[in-house]
Amino acid sequence: MPGTTLEDIDYSDIEAKYQVYYDDSFDNTLVVDGVPIIDKSKLERLLAKVAKEFSRKGIAIKPEDIFMPWDESTGKSKGFLFIDFRNVEDANLAVSALHNHPFDAKHTFKINRFTDIERFTDLDETYMEPELEEYSSREHLRAWLADPQGRDQYVTYRGEDVEVHWHGKPSQSELAHKPDWKDFLYVAWSPLGTYIATLHRQGVRLWGGPSWKPQQRFAHPLVKLIDFSPCEQYLVTWSNEPIVVPEGALQGPQYFSPDDEGNNIAVWDIKSGDLLRTFSTTNDNETPGIKKQMQWPALKWSPDDKFVARITPGQMISVHELPSMYLQGKKSLKIDGVVDFEWCPHGDKDKEDAEKDVKTAINGSGSKATTKKARENMLVYWTPEVINQPARVTLLSFPSRAILRQKNLFNVTECKLYWQNQGDFLCVKVDRHTKTKKSIFCNLEIFRVREKDYPVEVVELKDTVTDFSWEPKGERFAIVSSSDPNLGNPGPGITIKTDVSFYQLEHGKNDFKLLRTLPSRTSNAIRWSPRGRHVVLATVGSSSKSELEFWDLDFNLEDAGRREGQTSKEEWGSGIQLLGTADHYGVTDVEWDPSGRYLATSASAWTHTLENGFAIWDFRGQELTKQIQDRFKQFIWRPRPVTLLTKEQQRQIRKNLREYSRTFDEDDAAEESNVSAELIALRKRLVDEWNAWRALCKKESTDGRGQ
Amino acid sequence: MSTNRVTATPRHERSLTQIKFNAEGDLLFSCSKDHIINVWYSHNGERLGTYEGNNGTVWTVDVDSESRFMVSGAADNTLRLWAVATGKCLYTWEFPTAVKRVAFKDDDSQIVCITEQRMGHQCAIRVFNINRDGDGTNQSKEPLHMFNPIGSKATVCAFTLTPNIIITGHESGKVALFNIKNGDEVDNNERAHGDVVTDLQMSKDSTYCITSSKDKSARIHDTKTLMVLKTFTTETPLNSAAIAPIKPYVLLGGGQEAMNVTTTSLRQGKFETRFWHKVFEEEVGRVKGHFGPINTIAVHPAGTAYASGGEDGFVRVHHFDESYFRAKPYGDLEIAD
Amino acid sequence: SERKALQLRRALVARRRELLSELSVRKEKEETSRRAEINRREKEEEGRRMREEIKRKEQERTKKEIESIRIDEAKKYAQSLVDKGILKPNDVDKLETYDTEGLIVIQVAQLEKEKKELNERLRIVAKRVDHIERAYRKEERPLLDKDYEE
Repeated sequence: MPGTTLEDIDYSDIEAKYQVYYDDSFDNTLVVDGVPIIDKSKLERLLAKVAKEFSRKGIAIKPEDIFMPWDESTGKSKGFLFIDFRNVEDANLAVSALHNHPFDAKHTFKINRFTDIERFTDLDETYMEPELEEYSSREHLRAWLADPQGRDQYVTYRGEDVEVHWHGKPSQSELAHKPDWKDFLYVAWSPLGTYIATLHRQGVRLWGGPSWKPQQRFAHPLVKLIDFSPCEQYLVTWSNEPIVVPEGALQGPQYFSPDDEGNNIAVWDIKSGDLLRTFSTTNDNETPGIKKQMQWPALKWSPDDKFVARITPGQMISVHELPSMYLQGKKSLKIDGVVDFEWCPHGDKDKEDAEKDVKTAINGSGSKATTKKARENMLVYWTPEVINQPARVTLLSFPSRAILRQKNLFNVTECKLYWQNQGDFLCVKVDRHTKTKKSIFCNLEIFRVREKDYPVEVVELKDTVTDFSWEPKGERFAIVSSSDPNLGNPGPGITIKTDVSFYQLEHGKNDFKLLRTLPSRTSNAIRWSPRGRHVVLATVGSSSKSELEFWDLDFNLEDAGRREGQTSKEEWGSGIQLLGTADHYGVTDVEWDPSGRYLATSASAWTHTLENGFAIWDFRGQELTKQIQDRFKQFIWRPRPVTLLTKEQQRQIRKNLREYSRTFDEDDAAEESNVSAELIALRKRLVDEWNAWRALCKKESTDGRGQ
Repeated sequence: MSTNRVTATPRHERSLTQIKFNAEGDLLFSCSKDHIINVWYSHNGERLGTYEGNNGTVWTVDVDSESRFMVSGAADNTLRLWAVATGKCLYTWEFPTAVKRVAFKDDDSQIVCITEQRMGHQCAIRVFNINRDGDGTNQSKEPLHMFNPIGSKATVCAFTLTPNIIITGHESGKVALFNIKNGDEVDNNERAHGDVVTDLQMSKDSTYCITSSKDKSARIHDTKTLMVLKTFTTETPLNSAAIAPIKPYVLLGGGQEAMNVTTTSLRQGKFETRFWHKVFEEEVGRVKGHFGPINTIAVHPAGTAYASGGEDGFVRVHHFDESYFRAKPYGDLEIAD
Repeated sequence: SERKALQLRRALVARRRELLSELSVRKEKEETSRRAEINRREKEEEGRRMREEIKRKEQERTKKEIESIRIDEAKKYAQSLVDKGILKPNDVDKLETYDTEGLIVIQVAQLEKEKKELNERLRIVAKRVDHIERAYRKEERPLLDKDYEE
């Protein structure tokens, strides 16, 4: 919507709700001390100057918002004044931006909250500086994890309504929250589940905590896409409309400045709400007129939130440090021809190492010999073939910028980079062509990143590979491959025939060996359980097929054996078992819950309008609930952060599972009998009511006949 | 839902509009957009005969309690009385517009019919005396009563136990009671449904009835007070609803009409008759089979079978098996019929 | 007169002889035709027997063929069950009669049993997955507040 000015930005719906509360509590009233003492003739000029001073810091106030107390005996002002701000955020900002602010040569502002003044009037005069309280309330933003029943949450967006639900045993599945959010595009969880974001015309809102109160907002008008950094410290927003800063727009660290005009990507600090930097998605020297599909996320975060990188295709990767957003090392990585790159994720082990490092640094006494230093960040990029040079995949450590491993590749059409989520393995899926360029086949170049010299092993495949997926925390992967002649020219009603294959690392030989191929399917999506082991193969986006297959890769193996990393004596691939099949007509999305106990499938009205809604299955494919709802749009499980339990604690729990099981069995039995008792009572009541009514009808009709 | 044995799927040329069992349940009458009324043996699906003469879609049929007379209403603006046994048309009444619904009174002495609102003619409800003496050809041309129901046009109707009172369902979703003598609306429930009422079937003793609607729900009403006793909410527009005797179920049928062409392969034969628990308002099962939306459902008066007529031109007769009668999915609660 | 009587006798004798020979011829004829009839009947009977015998043999052959096909099928079916791992090779040898229907019953029973076993195992796996998750969450709970304070 061009022509929108910032004055149009309307948060009134949200503000209206809280305005009264803030007004009553004087939270948005500040007392400014250190103001020049004047007589009434200069009042107007002084107020205008004060208002300007605040506005320059990005806090818009008008002279009418200022109240100046007068000493009636002298006819002069008292040297302090009260300002009402639009909201508590602005008041907070004013405290931080203008406390101790030099107004002129002789006067310096001292700012206090009205509420604090009230509270501390009886206190010692030396009290000057109220503690700078963080705006975010001390709500426990991760309180949902403490659910006594160990349930997970999910959000649904249907029509105009958002609902957050608990998912558990039938009796424990209940509404957690029904917000009254209005006029937004869609909702999104932050990667660790702390916040839920809504995208409004005015910008992004974050909500969270047990109260589901607003936690932060980012004024990016007409925002369309957002992306959180992995540790939830930063947010990237994108709008197709370039940033415009109209005359008189709000200024301040949380708002765009004229320097940002024309850009359309913004990076924000989530805690403070400050804008860190903006970028443009259009590269300056891109051929005009050719609109390339924008890559999203446009900025890629290192797993520790320390760096964010951006690619200029064909030229370079620019890595910015956080939170300064300065270009790391003051220069980009110049890489001729670079097409794509990916950061290596941190595994649980890396995170533990990093924590140890921090502790060592704090204690200052870390004996280097015993503490293993955390692995440096790592990224991988690839460059295509040019006349004298083969295509090349490069593994680079960062910020040292040391090249760890390079691999040359020939006859390359395209590369795709897939990291295993613990950063143990990297698979480069290489689409290759024969010399004549007539047919395409595929190589999987697998880097074992934890081993010395980063050994690479190649799996050669004859067919085109349409999907690749690592088992989370595992040593297995699954691929969808196809030799269907229709591949590449999809049409309505055409469902591509595919094969699905599983591979596993063979420890003795250190290579990936085929476990099993499931031929002649239509599956085109692989969904591993976040806990590994279970995997669902789905046919999505097809108008005629919508099958779901639930597989277990360790069904016949001893659970513990694999976990302890022992090579099983069982026959290779014998653990694979189909647990169940199901069908969700028109399925568009398939997602596991964070615990790997449940799978949700949904048919979104954004894709088609037939039988929209969602279903939840257990890991073996039994339907637990199915809701068909008009205008159903979104189903998203609430993500969870990494568990706080150490590996050892987890092992102990698994070891003593029998003890826990006993309690849980008892709980469940009690719950079940409770539920069935309730249900039986309800049904009995319904039957009694019905039978009583029927008896009445019979009596009336016999009486009628008798007359 | 385990039903059973499907005896037959008799075929019409075009989509079905209404099906009706006779009082004994041995015969099943079906009418269709192909202008023809058929009668079938319900136990094996064999066609016993046809009633020909209508010159347009036959919208509605009803049969008297002795299986002697059958009455039909059609798009050729006629209401016809037929001899069930011979297939002979005994009498024809003509109106300015199509006849959308007919129903016999319990004692077979009267019929009620609804004519369409079209081309300046209002929707009209007429009641005729049926002269059962002689061969049936001697009927009076003029209706005993006639009136134009106020407000939204009527789509379905039936006689109630109260003398001179009929119950009607309307295009607006209204369910109402009318006095046929003076056309007064005695009582109504304007918000019975949110969309067109598509079917209305009485319980065995006529003390309650079930209505279906395009608003995707079906409701059980007290025919005396019009109080809604039960509501069954589905995810598809409903065309028909029937009450099963003996077991505490209601049967609902319908389906989205404009199905996407590319999706038909998956939906083949997947249009379902839905069984709901009459008292608990919970769905208990579904029976697949039709290739298009289900337009009309009828249950055998003894509760041993049911039939569904579809947009696909098929009539499917399902005979319940022993397990249907044995099953007590909700325990041993005794539920009055 | 004596000559006359002799002549008469001679004539009589001749006549008798004539009659006699005629009679014997007729008898012979009759006998021949009777024999022929018996012969014909016998032949007919023989033919019928022959045909019946052929038919019987034919039937027996067909029956044998059907039986052998049935056994073949049953053997094949048994082999398929062996391939599927439902029967063991030496189980097949132990089968007294090759009976496909019986084998189907065995297979159905086996499939039922497998289904039951699968369900039982899945129930255990499901419980384990659920309980591990709940136990983790239970033990994590006290750590959450501490984590938040940090």
